[in-house]
Amino acid sequence: MLISHQWLCSLLDLDGPAPDADALATILTGLGLEVEAMHRHGAGVEAILVAEIRGKAPHPQAGKLTVVELFDGERTLSVCCGASNLPPVGGKVALAPIGARLPGGLEIAPRELRGVASQGMICSETELEIGVDGDGILILPDEFPAGARLHTLVPGMVDTVLELGVTPNRPDALGHIGVARDVVAYLSSRPGGRAALKLPPAPAVMAPQDPQLVSIAAPDRCGRYLGYAISGVKVGPSPLWLRVRLHRLGLRPISNLVDITNLVLMEFGQPLHAFDRSKLAEGRVVVRRAHHEEGLRTLDGTDRALAQDDLVIADADDAQALAGVMGGAASAVSAGTTELLLEAAWFAPPGIRVSARRHALATDASYRYERGVDHGAGLERAALRALALIAELAHGRCIAQAEALGARPPRPVIDLRPARAEALLGVAVPTLEALAIFRGLEIEVDVDGLSDRGPTERDAAETILLADPETPNRSPRWSPSWRCVAPTHRPDLQREADLIDELMRHHGLDHVPARFCVPREARPAASADAMSVRGDLLSDGLREAGLQEIVSLAFVAEEKLLHFSDSHDGVPEDRFVRVANPMRGAGVMRTKLVPGLLDALVHNTARHGRPVRLFELGRVYAWPRGQVDPVGFPAGFPVGTRAVDVQLPHERTLAGLLLHAGGRAHADPRVLTGAVAHAIGRLGHRLHLSHGTGTHAAPTVSWLHPGAQIRLAVASVSGPVDIGVAGELHPELIAAWGLPDGLRVAYAEIDLAALPTAAVAKAREIPRFPATSRDLSLEIPITLPAAAVLTALRSAAAVLPAPGEDPVRLQAGEDIELLEDYRGAGVPEGHRALLLRLHYAAAGRSVTDAEVSPLHAAIVEQACLALRARAPSVRPR
Amino acid sequence: MSPLLAAQIQQFHAALASVTSEEALYELQVAYLGKKGSVTALKGEMGKLPPAERKDFGAAWNRTRDEIEAALERHRDVLKARARDLDLARVVDLSMPPLRPPVGSLHPLTQTRRRLSETFIRLGFDVAVGPHVEGEQFNFDDLNIGKDHPARDMADTFFVEPAAIRGLAPGDVQELVLRTHTSPVQIRTMRTRKPPIRIIAPGTTFRRDDDATHSPMFHQIEGLYIDEGVSLADLKATLMAFTEDFFGQRLAVRFRPSFFPFVEPGAEFDLGCPFCSGRGCNLCKHTGYIEIGGCGMVHPGVLEHCGIDSERYTGWAFGFGIDRMTMMLHQIPHLRLMFEGDTRFLEQFPC
Repeated sequence: MLISHQWLCSLLDLDGPAPDADALATILTGLGLEVEAMHRHGAGVEAILVAEIRGKAPHPQAGKLTVVELFDGERTLSVCCGASNLPPVGGKVALAPIGARLPGGLEIAPRELRGVASQGMICSETELEIGVDGDGILILPDEFPAGARLHTLVPGMVDTVLELGVTPNRPDALGHIGVARDVVAYLSSRPGGRAALKLPPAPAVMAPQDPQLVSIAAPDRCGRYLGYAISGVKVGPSPLWLRVRLHRLGLRPISNLVDITNLVLMEFGQPLHAFDRSKLAEGRVVVRRAHHEEGLRTLDGTDRALAQDDLVIADADDAQALAGVMGGAASAVSAGTTELLLEAAWFAPPGIRVSARRHALATDASYRYERGVDHGAGLERAALRALALIAELAHGRCIAQAEALGARPPRPVIDLRPARAEALLGVAVPTLEALAIFRGLEIEVDVDGLSDRGPTERDAAETILLADPETPNRSPRWSPSWRCVAPTHRPDLQREADLIDELMRHHGLDHVPARFCVPREARPAASADAMSVRGDLLSDGLREAGLQEIVSLAFVAEEKLLHFSDSHDGVPEDRFVRVANPMRGAGVMRTKLVPGLLDALVHNTARHGRPVRLFELGRVYAWPRGQVDPVGFPAGFPVGTRAVDVQLPHERTLAGLLLHAGGRAHADPRVLTGAVAHAIGRLGHRLHLSHGTGTHAAPTVSWLHPGAQIRLAVASVSGPVDIGVAGELHPELIAAWGLPDGLRVAYAEIDLAALPTAAVAKAREIPRFPATSRDLSLEIPITLPAAAVLTALRSAAAVLPAPGEDPVRLQAGEDIELLEDYRGAGVPEGHRALLLRLHYAAAGRSVTDAEVSPLHAAIVEQACLALRARAPSVRPR
Repeated sequence: MSPLLAAQIQQFHAALASVTSEEALYELQVAYLGKKGSVTALKGEMGKLPPAERKDFGAAWNRTRDEIEAALERHRDVLKARARDLDLARVVDLSMPPLRPPVGSLHPLTQTRRRLSETFIRLGFDVAVGPHVEGEQFNFDDLNIGKDHPARDMADTFFVEPAAIRGLAPGDVQELVLRTHTSPVQIRTMRTRKPPIRIIAPGTTFRRDDDATHSPMFHQIEGLYIDEGVSLADLKATLMAFTEDFFGQRLAVRFRPSFFPFVEPGAEFDLGCPFCSGRGCNLCKHTGYIEIGGCGMVHPGVLEHCGIDSERYTGWAFGFGIDRMTMMLHQIPHLRLMFEGDTRFLEQFPC
């Protein structure tokens, strides 16, 4: 909302000077009407004079120029002018004298134009920045005296316009009077302050009532409708002051009638509409719902199909306006209009909002109606103000008037307890200040039953109270609550808290002290929710493992998720959670973290060749499989109501790890599983890598390389628990993201919720005596997992009889190391050689070679035997 | 002295002069005094001497051994000193660029979120979470943002296509949205817990904004305190205590009246600029304050929607953006840096 400082101050009745623009801005921001910007207009126009044309002659050398003799109030000057619309001798124009500096920066200096001296410049509206008229120079009214400073005759030529951010609860602040009322309440509640609202004249009209003029057929949608029939209108341009005022507020002057309704809109915040009454069938209007398949061509020239809950203003036959949104083209005011029907109305906000949305029409009118305009005295006053201006500027005479009523919102009666206000704010607003604030805001207050004694007596009592400096902050004389009636221009005032807010705004939030209601020390200990703690620990572990965390958008393009829509290891399309109105083409809530991590990888590889080690901890989304289970749904969140929660999709938190070795190098999968092992170690878990065995073999994950993947699991009391998967991303994915063919990217996924509650780590005895080691080179088929070899060796060591009281065993903790996975010369096709180192120790003594060697041989033999059941070609080298 | 011993000494000294390492010195020691050393061997010669000469020879041999041992010891000290001098003459350039281990990093948003959570936990606030996909009831209606409320314009909302769920009464069907703020967590908490309630709710939020200063996905933190006798003064005290812990200095808290449908009175709050302690600098545009977020006393209607007695209990709520706070703290110039995952950006925030 743009507010003219000059206009606003003209609405204030003050003892002293009005606040300057900066002071006003501070006051308004302090009141919650935040000044977001200030625009100062009219720099330099103080120098512009009214000048009278005393003579005109063609320029002797230049056919397009005229040499004009101008009287500036003191002397006659000659000025060259190229405008084609110069008024005749005796006409008045705006003269920029020598030395003046125009708002655009042009400095006026004596000039010679082809041999003729020019002692100034005749200005156009554009040059003075008071309009956009490009036709020619500004022609001033004849009554302006020559020699006067123009800006003293045209209010608003020198002005500061404040850009207010008006919150949706304050429709009253969408007009200058509403803003002025807030300023009045503020100034008058300051110590010794006195301020009142100075409303523009709006004399009552004497025209007869004609109930036929307007009627309401949808009383639930229109609470009040005032109609005025006006005759003898002469449409023409608006006077300069009106044009300047609208121009300052960013509105284009059109014609006197349109400009008057716009002025009243900006003054009262009340939209008005003027119909050409001669175009209305039977010259009357009815407020009704649209008929089935009714149409309307609105002022913007668009033909609109109306819905049956669109409210229209119709004549005896057809819809003539979309109520509260936009007028119709058929009955629009035109240059030849002489008869008017002026509308001032209150429409129910929800209906206007729905219609404006449906027709995608956001107008100044709908913006105000959907927030709620004044349905009381302000409505009538705005209409009367427009009538007075129409009479003055367009010679229109009101010949008939009518008021129709529908369901008007009641004026809320609110009991305010000053004690409650103090309890809520933590500070007491002095009684007299509170009364002054409410009086300024036109909130009626019945303090201690004063209203029973009649308005005069109450006013007198309040006046005495306000004038009594001895009782600044004492309330025992007052009852514990004040009965207040909210004014019709403040639809936001509905309950006690709203009135307390008014007190707070005007009293000033700076007065609120900082004071704990319960001392910090007396509060019980607090904690984070379990899932956040778990996520934080896992992130710490991944960070320590050298991975960098990213945050990517939770919605992605559908095609990026189709790679993961295989039904056994992904989320199929029919379970996608779709955004109805997406941006950037990202229309599906992610079902995997892979797309975001791959996008980040692409971003990085396009810019540098260094290794990229990333992780993300984030939610994925899917509709539950089949029917929703209403029990225990959704998991992990405090349940609001089942009725809501049962309708929500599942959200799971995953950790995704992506490793890229830099350039075209291949990521080492052991670094990946190592990072996982370290991170879940943070949560007290040990990693188990397994392909599953026999009939329990894990199914292949379709988006990982079929030969490079493994299940991640951790031990729990009830056996290993699956927590995710690791491997190399499938070559198809690498290709789909435009990465180089053959690039190997390691990827792991951990389901945070699948991690069981961790056990507290238990201490293990540190070996006191040195271990003895034996190396083993074992030739095995490539397809036989190393994990199987290690398991076989450990099982063999566990079952072989160990003689003596303190037998030799594989050393607990660090038992077997994998030194090398060799493929190449000396190893048959399809095979590899694992070089392993086995550590042997006894608990309470050093071991000898003599006892280790046979044990080692026996373990190897036993393990090979077991492994040959799966792969007959296993042999020690 | 036996000429044999004298020759040994002479020979030894000649050899010693050319010894420059401790290893060579040891070899020399072994060559003369070892089990098979040349001086050791001469001791065996003693038996061949007439008994009268044996005593003298024995004494001479002992002197010879002692002299060699002493010379060896002296030479060893010289060598050690020389080696120490050499070592001390070494110059190591520690100004070379450090070789860092490949450590990872937490996203700056995570770092800020954690620090915020830790701070408020110390102030007695539990951390609460909620779903990202919400029903309109919790995201809007219960927060006093009815279907027709103009405040729904304030949040450009992402809507989610609902799933067909059998057995729902038509009146129960919720419009689903990506939560536009973390405030629905307030509702969920108030509906499930009894006062006193003291929570913060950090989390991901979504709005249909996409430009240089807005991302369609962003992060907020919400604070909520409901109990008997809670006032705006308590909020001010809490925010001040927060600044002390989070910024390491007690900063001014300034409220400016504003409007959010779920609080009344409502305000925006500014904190004294942490970079200049309120004296005025470029970062606070010389105002001494930084705009942080919104706050107010929980609207009695919101309490009632959640089944809390609005006469007995009062409470406050606040909320602000974690992204903006993070950008301010680290002086991150562009929002897009936060979401594109450039490792050269991420590595600037090791933690």
